[in-house]
Amino acid sequence: MSPGLRSLLLLLALALLAPFAWHVAKALPQFGSPTAAYGATVNALGPPLRHVSNMVAAVNFDFRALDTLGEESMLFCAVTGAVVLLRGTRGEGTNRRAGLIPGRAVLARSDAQVLLCRIACTLTMLFGLYMVLHGTVTPGGGFQGGVIIASAVLLLYLAEGYGPWRRLIRSPLLDVLESLGVLLFVGAGAAPLLSGHAAMSNLMPLGHFRDLFSGGVMLVTNFAVGLAVAAGFVMLLLEFLEETRALQSDSLPDEAQR
Amino acid sequence: MSLALGVLPWLVSAWLFAVGLYGIVRSRHYVHLIACLAVCQSATYVLLLSIGFRWHAGPPIFYDHPPGSAAVDPVMQALVLTDIVVGAAVSALLLAIALQVHKRRGSVDPQSLRPLRPNR
Repeated sequence: MSPGLRSLLLLLALALLAPFAWHVAKALPQFGSPTAAYGATVNALGPPLRHVSNMVAAVNFDFRALDTLGEESMLFCAVTGAVVLLRGTRGEGTNRRAGLIPGRAVLARSDAQVLLCRIACTLTMLFGLYMVLHGTVTPGGGFQGGVIIASAVLLLYLAEGYGPWRRLIRSPLLDVLESLGVLLFVGAGAAPLLSGHAAMSNLMPLGHFRDLFSGGVMLVTNFAVGLAVAAGFVMLLLEFLEETRALQSDSLPDEAQR
Repeated sequence: MSLALGVLPWLVSAWLFAVGLYGIVRSRHYVHLIACLAVCQSATYVLLLSIGFRWHAGPPIFYDHPPGSAAVDPVMQALVLTDIVVGAAVSALLLAIALQVHKRRGSVDPQSLRPLRPNR
C-alpha cells in the first residue's frame, strides 16, 4: 500500500471518527478539578482501612488487585511470546560467546568503564530493592523496582562483558523466578478462598502506618510483582542480546582480552 | 490565562497522539513504527494524569502530609503505571516480531512486504 493511499485512509477514518471524538472531548472534566468519586474515596479510606501511605500501591495491590493479576498475566504472556518468537528460529541452545559482526572492530572495555559500571550496578540494584520493598510506604512498588533491578543487570553486562554475564545470568533460573512471581500473586489471591473469604481479601496483619511492614497481603503481591517484572525484563534483555550473535560464530574469538 | 492552562493538557495529549499516528501511517521501517506507537501511547499518559490532576493538591502518598489532606486521583496514577508496563511489554513483543520479519523476508519496510502465500 503506497504512502498516499495510507494517508487517504487515515483522513477518511479521522473524518468518520471526529464527531465522536469531539463528543467525548466536550465531556472531559475541567482540568484541575476531577469529578471522579472513586479516587477521593480511596484517598479517604486507604490509610485507616489498610494502614498504608502509598495510595497508588493500595489501588494496585489491594483494592484493584484482581486487575493487577490480569496485568501481570498479560506481562507474562507478552514476555513468553517474545521469548518464543526469538528462540523459534534459534533453538533452545545458547552460546556463551558474544555476537560478532564481520568487519566491525571488537573494542576492549576500558578500566574506567568496568569500574564505573560495577559501582553503578551495585547502587542501582540496591535502589531497585529499596523501591520494591518500600512499595506500600513511599513512591515506588513492584513494577518500578523490578524494572530498575533489570537495568542493574544490564549494567552488569556492560561491566563484565558477554561471557561472564551469561555465566552469571542463567535462563532457566529466570524462567523459574518469573513463574514464581506470578504463582505467588495467584496464591496470595486464592489463599483466602480456603478459609471461606472472598478472593484477594486482605487477611494478613496490617502492620503500622508509615512502617515498612504495613499493608498485609500487599507486601506479598508487591514482592511477587517485583520478582516477575525483574525476571521477565532480564529474560527479554538476554534473549535480545542472544539474538545479536551470529548463528555460526563458534569459531570466532571471544571478546578481545583486556 | 487560566482558560489556556485548562485546555493545554488536552491539546498536548491530542498533539502527541496525532504525531504518533502520522508516524505510524507514513512509516517506512518497523522499528520506527514501534517507536511511533510508543509516542501515541505517551499521549494516553498525559491524558490520564491530566484527568486525575487537582489544583493545590499533593501526591496520593500520605507520608509527608497527613491523611485527609488534598491529593490527586490515585486511580489515574495506577492506570498510568499499568499503561507504561503494558507498553514496554508490547514494544518488546513487537520488536521480536520485527526481528523475525527481517530474518524471513530480509526487509523491515511495511510497503515492500506482501501477504503470506502458501508454498506451491
